[in-house]
Amino acid sequence: MESFRSLTVTQRDQILVEQQVFDIFKTFYNLPPSSQSFMLELQRENHVEYLTKGLTGLGPSFCVLDANRPWICYWILHSIALLDEFVDPELEDNTIDFLSRCQGPNGGYAGGPGQMPHLATTYAAVNSLVTLGGEKALSSINREKLYMFLRQMKDASGGFRMHDGGEIDVRACYTAISVASLLNILDDELVQNVGNYILSCQTYEGGISGEPGSEAHGGYTFCGLATMILINEVDSLDLSGLTDWVVFRQGVEGGFQGRTNKLVDGCYSFWQGGIFALLKRLNSTKEVKPIPLGDGEGSGEESPQTTTSSDAAGEEGLNGDLSLGGSHSEIGDQHNTSSQDNVIDIDHNHSKGHANVEPLFNSLALQQYILLCSQELNGGLRDKPGKSRDHYHTCYCLSGLSVCQRSWLEDEDSPPLPRAVLGPYSNLLEPIHPLYNVVLDRYREAYEFFTKS
Amino acid sequence: MHGRPRKAPKPEEEAASVAKAQKLHALQTQFFSFHHNKIYTKEAVELSAKLLEINPESYTAWNYRKLAVEHYLSQPDCNPDWIKSFLDDELRVVENALRQNFKSYGAWHHRKWVISKGHSSIDNELRLLDKFQKADSRNFHAWNYRRFVAESMKRSEQDELKYTEDMIYKNFSNYSAWHNRSVLLSALFEKKAEGFLSKEKVLPEEYEFIHQAIFTDPDDQSGWFYHLWLLDQTVTTDSPLLASSWPGHGYDVFLVEDRCYNGSAFSPFTALHSDSGSFPIVLYFNQPVGGVSSSTVTVECGFNKNEDLLWKPLSASNSQTARVWVAHLKIPSSDLLSTVEVSVGHSKGIISTRGFEYSHPSMFSFKVHVQPMERDFSQVSVAESISLREENFKIYGSQSEESIINSFNQLSIKNGHESTASNWRSEALAKEIECFRELLSLMDCKIGKLTLARLLMAYDVMSYPFANKLVHSEEVLELCSDLMKLDPTHYQYYKDEHSMVLLQKVTSSKESLLQHCFQYKDSVSSAICGPICLRLNNLSLSRMGAFEKLLWVQMLDLSHNELQSIEGLEAMQLLSCLSLRNNKLRSLTALEPLRKLKLLRVLDISYNQIGDHSIDTTRYLCSSPLSHSVGSESNKDETVTSDVALIDNWEAFYIFKDFNLNQLEIVGNTIADEKFKSVLVKIMPKLKQLDGKLLG
Repeated sequence: MESFRSLTVTQRDQILVEQQVFDIFKTFYNLPPSSQSFMLELQRENHVEYLTKGLTGLGPSFCVLDANRPWICYWILHSIALLDEFVDPELEDNTIDFLSRCQGPNGGYAGGPGQMPHLATTYAAVNSLVTLGGEKALSSINREKLYMFLRQMKDASGGFRMHDGGEIDVRACYTAISVASLLNILDDELVQNVGNYILSCQTYEGGISGEPGSEAHGGYTFCGLATMILINEVDSLDLSGLTDWVVFRQGVEGGFQGRTNKLVDGCYSFWQGGIFALLKRLNSTKEVKPIPLGDGEGSGEESPQTTTSSDAAGEEGLNGDLSLGGSHSEIGDQHNTSSQDNVIDIDHNHSKGHANVEPLFNSLALQQYILLCSQELNGGLRDKPGKSRDHYHTCYCLSGLSVCQRSWLEDEDSPPLPRAVLGPYSNLLEPIHPLYNVVLDRYREAYEFFTKS
Repeated sequence: MHGRPRKAPKPEEEAASVAKAQKLHALQTQFFSFHHNKIYTKEAVELSAKLLEINPESYTAWNYRKLAVEHYLSQPDCNPDWIKSFLDDELRVVENALRQNFKSYGAWHHRKWVISKGHSSIDNELRLLDKFQKADSRNFHAWNYRRFVAESMKRSEQDELKYTEDMIYKNFSNYSAWHNRSVLLSALFEKKAEGFLSKEKVLPEEYEFIHQAIFTDPDDQSGWFYHLWLLDQTVTTDSPLLASSWPGHGYDVFLVEDRCYNGSAFSPFTALHSDSGSFPIVLYFNQPVGGVSSSTVTVECGFNKNEDLLWKPLSASNSQTARVWVAHLKIPSSDLLSTVEVSVGHSKGIISTRGFEYSHPSMFSFKVHVQPMERDFSQVSVAESISLREENFKIYGSQSEESIINSFNQLSIKNGHESTASNWRSEALAKEIECFRELLSLMDCKIGKLTLARLLMAYDVMSYPFANKLVHSEEVLELCSDLMKLDPTHYQYYKDEHSMVLLQKVTSSKESLLQHCFQYKDSVSSAICGPICLRLNNLSLSRMGAFEKLLWVQMLDLSHNELQSIEGLEAMQLLSCLSLRNNKLRSLTALEPLRKLKLLRVLDISYNQIGDHSIDTTRYLCSSPLSHSVGSESNKDETVTSDVALIDNWEAFYIFKDFNLNQLEIVGNTIADEKFKSVLVKIMPKLKQLDGKLLG
C-alpha cells in the first residue's frame, strides 16, 4: 500500500484557521481589560443598521437569492427580534404584503411571487410572520390551504418533498412539521411515518444525515431531532449516540463544525448549539444520559460544512438551502487538526459547579468565538475570520448566542446570571423557542392566536 | 464571495452588476409568463436555461423544464433521436448550473430525474462527479449523487470501494470517503457478496488500512470515526441474544406469602414475598428487541400452557422495543411445587431494532415452591419499618458458607446457547489492543486511551461472555481515571465509564459480589426479616449498570454515590427496598424508572438535589410537545385537575401515582417542604410512613 502523506489538505486548512483564530484570541488576551470588554461587546446598533438596510433593499449581488426571498425576511426579522428591536410599521406592512404575494393560491409560500410553493420558504415565511406578530401578520396565513399543501408534499414513504417534484430529505420533514406545529394544524396524517424516515437517517456516528446513506451533519441533526420531538417520537432515536456526536463537533476554536473533520463555522452555533438546548429540555423531562463523548475528540475539530449554497455575492449564500445550514461555500475540506490540547481556555468563570445545570458544551468558548471571530464590528456576523458577513450567518450566529447565554438555565423566563453571559450584560439577547427558532414571546403570541382560532 | 478579500466595487463594476440584475429581472418576468401560460417553444425553453445558469436555485424553472420535456415526450411524432437530444440538453443545463453553484439542491435533483429516465451513461456521470468531487471532496450533494448513480447504473460496490481508497490516499482526512466506505462495506456484507461472505477476512484488512491513517496523525478525527465503526462491526453480533433472566436456569424459587422468612429455610437469594401468588419472569436481552409475546416465548407450568401471558417491554419510553421484558406468572396456591419451563424464540418474531431475528432459541427451567402463610395475619400487617442504617447490616457469610455458595451459584447465567464469539473477533481485538498499546507508548493521546479502554472491555466481554472474567478491568479503570485528569472537560463521561466498569467488576465473580451482600437485621426485632441486601454504597458511582447480573436483587443500597440518573433500574423487577440516599438526583422525573417497579415498597431518596433547580413546567405552555404524553395522561384523572395543589405538582403526581410505597424518605431535598409532603400523602394514600413519621 502506498502510504499517507503526512499533512493533508484538510489538515493544512484547519491549521490555517486555527492560526487565524488563535491570533485573534492572543491579541485579545494582551489587551487591557477595558479594551477587552469593548471587543466582547455585541455591536447592537451596527447590527441593527446592517439588518434594516437589508430589509429595504439589497444590492444586485443578491440575484441568486431570488428564489429564497422569504428566507431573507426571516433571517433579518428574526435577527432584529433577537436584538429586541422593531421594524417600522410601514416596513412591517410591506413585508406582510410581500409575503402574501408569495403565498400560493393552493397554499404554501414560494421563494418569490409567481414561483411555486416550497416547504423551506414556507417555513421561512411563517416564521417571519410569527416574528412580526400581530393580527394582520398572523391572520394573513391561510392555514387550511397550507395544510393541503403540506399533505401534497407528503410522500408515501412518510417523508416530505421540498416542492412538487422536488427532493425528499430531513430538511423537508422539519420545515413541514415545524410549520404545522406552530400553526396548530399538525395531525396524524402528517406525522405518519415521518419518524421512520428520520430514523433511517441517523448514522453510526450518532448524528443525522440529510438522506439515508449520507454522513451526519449539524443542520440535519438539528432538523431531525426537532422533528422527532415535535412528533413525540424522540425516544426512538439513539440519543446518547447523538449527544456524543454533537459534543465533539465543538472545536478548539470554540465554535462548532458541521460535520466530522470540517472547518469551524459560526452558523453551527445555532444548528449544533440549538441541539443542546433541545437535549437539555429532554434531560429535564426524562433523564437522557448526559454525557457524551465519543469519538474522536481529539482532533481539532473543525468545521463547517458545506452545505449548500452558493453564495455568490458577497453575502452568503444561502440559497437554496435553506434551512439548513448553510451556506458556505468553501471548497474543500479542511481539516483537521490537531490541536492538541492547546485549547485556549476562555472561561474565566468556568462554572464547574452548581449554578444551574451545567451545559454539555463549552458555552463561554462558543460565545467567545461568536463575538471575537464571527462578529464584524461595523455590523453583521460571519462564518469565520476572512469571510464576509451575510444575513444568514448573522441570523444563526445570533440565535446561537442567545442559546448559549441561557445554556445554564432550566427556565427560559428568568434572566441568566451575569457570568453566563460573556462580555457586558447588555449582550443578552432575547430567548428563543429552540424547536422553531423564533423569539419566545412571539412564539407565545402565535400559540395563543392559533389555539383560539 | 467566501474567501476573497472584499474591495469597494469600482463604479463601472457597480454599473455592470446593476445591469446584470436588470437583465435577470427581465428574464424572470418573461420566464414566469411562459411558465404560467404553459408555453414550451424552443425559445421559451432556452430562456429557462439562461435563467438557471444565472440562478441555479430557481426551482420553479427546474420544474418548468421537467414539464417541457414531458410535453415533448408525449408528442405523437416523438422519436428516440428527439428524446436523446432533449435529455442531452437537460444534462448540459444541469452541468452549467452546477458550475455556477455545485451545492444547488435543484440542479442535482434535476439530474437524478434525467438519469431516472434511463439517459446518460455511467462513464459520463462519473466524469462529471470526478470534476465536482475534485473541486470539493466533501460536497455531500456530490457524494449523495454518486451513491445514487452507482446504485441505479449498477456500478459494483467493489469499484466504488476502490474509489474511496483513492480518495483516502489523496487525503486521509476526507471523512466523506471513509463514511462511504462504511456504507459500501455494509452493503457488501448484507448481500454476502463474493469475498465479503464473512467479515473475518475483510475487517482485519480494514484495520490495517486505518492504522496507517491513525499512526500518521493520531489527532485526525476522520480515522477515529471509521475505527469506531470497525470496532462496532467486530463486536456486534447481528442477532440478539438472551443475556440473562430471572429466574435463571435451575433456580429454586420460594414464594412466601408471609413477610418473614424465618431464617435459613430458603436461600435468601431466591425467596420472594408474594401476596398474590404471582411473580415476575424477566428476560434480559443483549440489545433492544421487539416482538416478545406469548407466541414467541412459551411458558409451561405443569400442564398449563400460559398462552395468555402478557409480556411487557421495560423501557423509559413507551416504545414497543426494549432490552428487558417482563411477564407476571401466577401459580395457583394449591400447587406447592411446580416446574416452569420457558422457551424463548422457538418460533420467529423476536427482532432487534436493527432488524435481525433472534436466532438462538433457548430454554430455561426453574422450580417454584409455594410457602403458604402460617402466621396470624395481624402480626405481619403492623407496618414494619425498614431502616437501611449501618448498624442493621451484617456482612453475609456468617452463616454456613456452603449453602450460600450453592445458592449463589444458581445466579450465574447459563443459557442454552454457547458463546457466539468466533475466534477471529477476539483475535482482531487482541491485535488492536497490541497496536494501541504501541501507539500510546509513542505518544500521549486521549482518544487513543479511550479507544484502548473500549477495546479492552470489548475483549473481556467477548472472550468470556458467560464466565464473568474481566481480566482487564483494572487497566480499564486506570485508563478512565487517567482520562478524567487529562481531559477534565469530559470528566463526567469518563466517570460514567468508570462506574460501569467498576460495576462489571464487582458483579463478575461471586467472591467480589459476596463482599457486597449483607443481611438486613432490624435492630429492634431479632428475626431476620428480609432477603439479602446488595450494598453498592460509597463507590462514587455516577451511573448504574450491570443490571443483567442483578435481576435477583430485592434490597439495594446505592446511598452515598454520585448518581444523577438511575436509567436502567427498571430492569430490577424484584426490588422492594431501595436506598438512593445522598446522591445527586436533581428532579422527580429522574425517578421515572421506578414507576415500573411494582414491588417497590420502601424508597429512600433523602439528601439529593431534587428541587434545587426549579423547572418551570409551563415553559412551553401546554403545547409542549415534550410534555404531550405526560399531560394527556394526567388530564384523564379528574381528581387531579380539580385540585390546585396537585396541578402545581404534576410532576410529583406523574411519578408517584403509580407507586405502591409503604415507606418513603425524602428529607434533605429542597422540594420536600411540609406542603409538598402533604401533596405526597394525597397522591399515595397507601403510604404508611414518611420521613420516619407514621401516617395516621
